[in-house]
Amino acid sequence: MTRILLVEDNEMNRDMLSRRLQRKGYDVTMAVDGRQGVEMARAGAFDLILMDMSLPELDGWEATRQLRAAAETRTVPIIGLTAHAMAGDRDKALEAGCNDYDTKPVELPRLLGKIEALLGGPK
Amino acid sequence: MSDTPPGNRLTPEALAELRHNLRTPLNHVIGYAEMLLEDAADPTLVPRRDALQRALAGARDALERINSTLGATGGAGAGEVSRLYEDLREPRDRIVRAIGDLLPAAEASDPGFTSDLRKILTAALRLIPEDAPRVPAAPEPAATRSAAAPSAATGPQARILVVDDGAENRDVLQRRLERSGHAVETAEHGRRALALLGERPFDLVLLDVLMPELDGFAVLEAIKGDPKLRDIPVIMISALDEMPGIVRCIEHGAEDFLHKPFDPVLLRARINASLEKKRLRDQEVEYLQEVGRVIEAATAVEAGSYRAGVLAPVARRADELGRLARVFDSMVLQMKAREERLRDQVRDLRSEIASARKDSKEFGVSVDGGNLRIGERFAQRYEIRAEVGRGGMGAVYRARDIELDEEVAIKTLRPEFVTDRTLLERFKDEIRLARRLSDQNIVRTHDFGEWGGVYFLTMEYVEGITVRELIDTRGRLGVSSTLAIATQLAHSLAVAQEHGVIHRDIKPQNLLLDDAGVLKVMDFGVARLAERSTSVTEAGLVVGTPAYMPPEQLMAEAVDARSDLYAAGVVLYECLTGRLPFEAASVISLVAKLLSQEAPSPAAVNPEVPPAFSALVLRLLAKKPEDRVQTATQLLEQLALLG
Repeated sequence: MTRILLVEDNEMNRDMLSRRLQRKGYDVTMAVDGRQGVEMARAGAFDLILMDMSLPELDGWEATRQLRAAAETRTVPIIGLTAHAMAGDRDKALEAGCNDYDTKPVELPRLLGKIEALLGGPK
Repeated sequence: MSDTPPGNRLTPEALAELRHNLRTPLNHVIGYAEMLLEDAADPTLVPRRDALQRALAGARDALERINSTLGATGGAGAGEVSRLYEDLREPRDRIVRAIGDLLPAAEASDPGFTSDLRKILTAALRLIPEDAPRVPAAPEPAATRSAAAPSAATGPQARILVVDDGAENRDVLQRRLERSGHAVETAEHGRRALALLGERPFDLVLLDVLMPELDGFAVLEAIKGDPKLRDIPVIMISALDEMPGIVRCIEHGAEDFLHKPFDPVLLRARINASLEKKRLRDQEVEYLQEVGRVIEAATAVEAGSYRAGVLAPVARRADELGRLARVFDSMVLQMKAREERLRDQVRDLRSEIASARKDSKEFGVSVDGGNLRIGERFAQRYEIRAEVGRGGMGAVYRARDIELDEEVAIKTLRPEFVTDRTLLERFKDEIRLARRLSDQNIVRTHDFGEWGGVYFLTMEYVEGITVRELIDTRGRLGVSSTLAIATQLAHSLAVAQEHGVIHRDIKPQNLLLDDAGVLKVMDFGVARLAERSTSVTEAGLVVGTPAYMPPEQLMAEAVDARSDLYAAGVVLYECLTGRLPFEAASVISLVAKLLSQEAPSPAAVNPEVPPAFSALVLRLLAKKPEDRVQTATQLLEQLALLG
């Protein structure tokens, strides 16, 4: 099963997105802030990480930079999720090391398209 | 939105943030609603699908309105933002109504579904912040005006009737008002106006004062005199020199007035103010009607005629009143379920009593050795029929009260106690106290007297068996029957505690059960007012039955209401297990065991006892009074939780 780590601090977002992804056949693990996200990503073998960019403790940009610097997570695809649909946000996320980027609120079909593009669908 | 000064354009950042803040809750609504729709594929769930589709449609409508006002490229000012919030109220209300339709049934049956519905509701209510700016000129969606007119929800702002005999005035007003989005009809005289008002609904009437035939006053009077029309606001139209006439109109119920020629700004402001007032009035009336429904429901509960779900229309409201209705409904349901369970428990108890009576030798037959003779007329008033029991203080007889022609119980004081003045005083005290207690779970004490050197007490005679006899015959009692005993015993102790009375000798022998399963505690005989106990009790004098006594009573220390709760715990232990928590051959060894050992839990002795009930009994048996359930009322509450 394809394993996704969802790093998201908002409870309702986390609950909804994780359940919707599970329904699509993904195995979803959740972290509630950037620090926990980095720890869990390094400890577990994930196929993909969904990273909210505005997170407490450690923000998504910094968490992504740390994951890119660590050997065990260097190649794991990361999709950054940002709240502001501002032109500069996309570049900022990609600069930090995200493979792709999506805006919140998440529209599931669009996000699934991006996940599948990176992974080739749930396994 | 702090960076949006009124009238100014929003900065791109503020716009993006606003877009995000609006779209996030809608995305939650859509996401959860879609998931719930996926789960509702079953053909029996069509109404559920229908409501979820309505919520989805509302959310998608709202999204569209947001996107068209706050498109990624266009800018927006504070005015547009305020109007957008107003625009979002209607689809938001559709979501809330759709979820409200599902909630009452879901709450009764499906916690997971309910939880997701609540998430949708929470998200929908977050869409428009409490402090969102209101646009005074905002159209009032029919949804909030009245649930009965949803078709007008996206239609014109208001239906206005213009009544004026001047064609030019009518035309000017009609065009101005239509340009503001209102639906306008005109009438050239009063009679036509009343005819139109009788045919279709209007939100507002603009009424000229001076007209031929039927003038403005007459029309106003007709409107205000008709119960169906009188709530429609009327704005009078007049020339400047008609002040006294205007005053008269306002006295007759006109909402406002306008002078010819019309100032467009003033016209709009006054019309909007009138419409807003009407909307608030309608809301208030609707609110009061729904408050009335809640009050009716409360009356129905008292009368025992409450039907579940009768408050469903009120419960759908998203406000505090809706919450009150939901809480009320679920409380009544719980109460009914509780009553139902109590009835079941008493039924089980009754069948145990019936079996006990069948299995055992007869109870309540005469035994020899009392100081009164069977058949004897005692105290010139009582005919002694049978001796029915014997306690530490004396014998108990069933007798006929010849004066009142009713059965009573007579309890005599053993002759050797009569010489003891302290005991006699104690006995008199206990009677004064016991006579205060009147409850269906307590045996009534009638009188105290002395005849021929015999001191005696008369009491209500209860035909039935004691819990002692029931346990002895049945071995032990069922959990349900024990709960019926526990609830009634706790109730009687609560009544006693309210009067400051401690029983001091709660034991199965003192608990009578009649055939209907009603438990009656007798012998509130050793009881005395708590505060007087130390002055009357001689140090070290143990009153009561050791096996049922808490440590403090065995050690002749201060006793309080919690001591009775310990004794109740022993009784319940015995009911559930057929055993005492501590078995001992003598008081000394009982005290030793009590102080050094823990009783095995009732559930360990009898696996049928639910763990929570077992734990409650052990809490009653705590060695330190402060570790026990503290009051009989608390015990009742704990028992209610057990079922």
